[in-house]
Amino acid sequence: MPHMGNLYIPFKALFQRLNIDFVIPPLNNQRTLSLATKYSPEGLCIPFKLTLGNMIEAAELGADTIIVPGGNAICRLGYYAKIQEQILREMGYNNVAVVQVGISEHKLVGLLKKIKHLSNNASWFRIISAFGFGLSKLNALDRIERVVQKVRARELVKGTANQLYSQAISAIDRADDYHTLKKVQAGYLDQLDQVTKDPLAQPLLVGVIGEFYVVLEPFSNLDVESELGKLGVEVRRTTFTSEWTKFSFFLNPLGINEKDRLHQAALPYLKRDVGGVGWESVGEKVVHAKEYDGLIHLAPFTCMPEIVAQNIMPSMKEGIPVLSITCDEQMAKAGMLTRLEAFVDLIKRKRPVANNNRPVVTI
Amino acid sequence: MRIGIPRALLYYQYYPMWQTFFEELGAEVVVSPPTTQAMLAEGSARVVADTCLPVKAFLGHVLSLVEQCDRIFIPAIRSVKKNTCNCSKALGLPDMTKAVIPESPPILDIDIDINRGKRVLYQAIYKLGRHFTWNPFRVRRAATAAWQAYLNYRELMSSQGLTPRQTIEKLSDAPETKGEMSSSYPAPTRATIALIGHPYIIYDEYISHRLVRRLETAGIKILTPKMLTIEELESAITRLAGRAYWAYEEEIVGAGGHYLQSGADGVIGIMTFGCGPDSLMMDMVARRAARPQATPFMSLTLEEHTAEAGLVTRLEAFTDMIHRKKRRQGSR
Repeated sequence: MPHMGNLYIPFKALFQRLNIDFVIPPLNNQRTLSLATKYSPEGLCIPFKLTLGNMIEAAELGADTIIVPGGNAICRLGYYAKIQEQILREMGYNNVAVVQVGISEHKLVGLLKKIKHLSNNASWFRIISAFGFGLSKLNALDRIERVVQKVRARELVKGTANQLYSQAISAIDRADDYHTLKKVQAGYLDQLDQVTKDPLAQPLLVGVIGEFYVVLEPFSNLDVESELGKLGVEVRRTTFTSEWTKFSFFLNPLGINEKDRLHQAALPYLKRDVGGVGWESVGEKVVHAKEYDGLIHLAPFTCMPEIVAQNIMPSMKEGIPVLSITCDEQMAKAGMLTRLEAFVDLIKRKRPVANNNRPVVTI
Repeated sequence: MRIGIPRALLYYQYYPMWQTFFEELGAEVVVSPPTTQAMLAEGSARVVADTCLPVKAFLGHVLSLVEQCDRIFIPAIRSVKKNTCNCSKALGLPDMTKAVIPESPPILDIDIDINRGKRVLYQAIYKLGRHFTWNPFRVRRAATAAWQAYLNYRELMSSQGLTPRQTIEKLSDAPETKGEMSSSYPAPTRATIALIGHPYIIYDEYISHRLVRRLETAGIKILTPKMLTIEELESAITRLAGRAYWAYEEEIVGAGGHYLQSGADGVIGIMTFGCGPDSLMMDMVARRAARPQATPFMSLTLEEHTAEAGLVTRLEAFTDMIHRKKRRQGSR
């Protein structure tokens, strides 16, 4: 299973409970990226390259089955598994099977069936309880991350929240029953609450939108969220893995679709699904125009749906500032920081003065 | 009513069909002139830099039509076969055009999605026809005639090995424009090269730097994906890629697979930089070409900045290599 943010933690829990033999490739790092760029076709996007890098590193560790999400989505994603498997074959990993789980067609049942197959026919009861435990880890992680986003912008000693966050991740990873998990979650939420914060802080609100992989994988976006936090900006985003699972596994089959709201909002500008999350990106700009001070639009280089969104955004009448950042393997931190600082300065100046209750200090 | 059709992207696949449909419904069809540098520059100025070359050219064509017509026809084609899908940029084209060219005349768009069944397709066609007439039978007649025109067009291309431009001229009985892209060059055929790539790249003389003409003057016979029959394509696709995924790019893989095995002395794959589907499909063909005993393969990636001299050098080197190979095989 390739990495995407903290997704490996719930899966690790799931596999452990079912006694499935698994390896976790190293988290995305410079070596992953170099391997990935070396073996990928040049014109493909960063999600393809990084996931390929994960696969190579997993194969080095002896993995023989790699699960990837896929399916008949309109973006290129649905085809990736096939090419990635070919690349692995050509590298000499002949016994690695890349198994594609068609999330869009088979939904939850498809994934569960695949897991049942992998676990040598464990009973459905065990699978579902393990899956449930994985899900609750996922929820705990995302709940803490939401609080971290808030604390980052207000903390006096920069970096405290990040430190707590990484501790929390490994603690959640270690927790092996519901009770400890609950305790860990409550403990860290409490600690985050205790972090000394600037009482007068009125952080700017910036929404992070765009393609889900680069939004969720901090390595691919050079950790844009914590950089924004350091600049005193509170980050909000709607893309969380737990949200996504909740909706696409449990609520969508019942006919509840949170995305309808975004699609409705996007209608005047984009009338149809263009694959990936291009439609949602346009919708989010409309929905959040009033509540946020600015938006950061992340897209991988050559991402087709996001190019459509990028082209449409400037002509929309919602006048919220948008900074488009294109992520690829040649992105450099210094350049991104300069752009972020300039963007934050811009929205700070744009903020209506009436809203600014900060006492004016005159010397 | 005058309907503008940009001479770009799907024009090369479907123009006879669209033309027949609109003319049957009593509209006049205006086609934009062939791509020029100015058109491409104007188109590029409207969009973000990441956008691919064909879309930039397409917008240039739309801009050139702005004053010329009352409506512009830009279809959004999602799928042309069950369980396939099309590139996002092609899907978002009507909306994107509206966003970046606000001065354009109203856009006639039609959603074509075979995945959703025949009923939806017929409804979409009827909805498009409603712009012209209230009579559903007239729309139906026009659609049938259009489909027939399309079948004729494909038939002509694959049976006589014509380029879309020649075929369109033949169908409309227009006097043939002399010289341009016709295979009337007297030079004897020295080799056969298959060009694989989207029709809107191969046949757009400006975008492809007159590739077809260059090769033809050098005495090389050109084969393109459009000259294969659907059966030939499909068998090659199953061999190479298994299940078809894309609406148009399968054609490239299929043709690549076919010509790499037989029928050509060399294969040239042309794609544009930043093309999403092609970056995958060309890679698939290139991997197949890397196997021993495959026909020689060269991949060309085009973009706005491609310098003609570099392209010519590579072409010459490739053709020289093929000639040498043929001589060696002949003398043996």
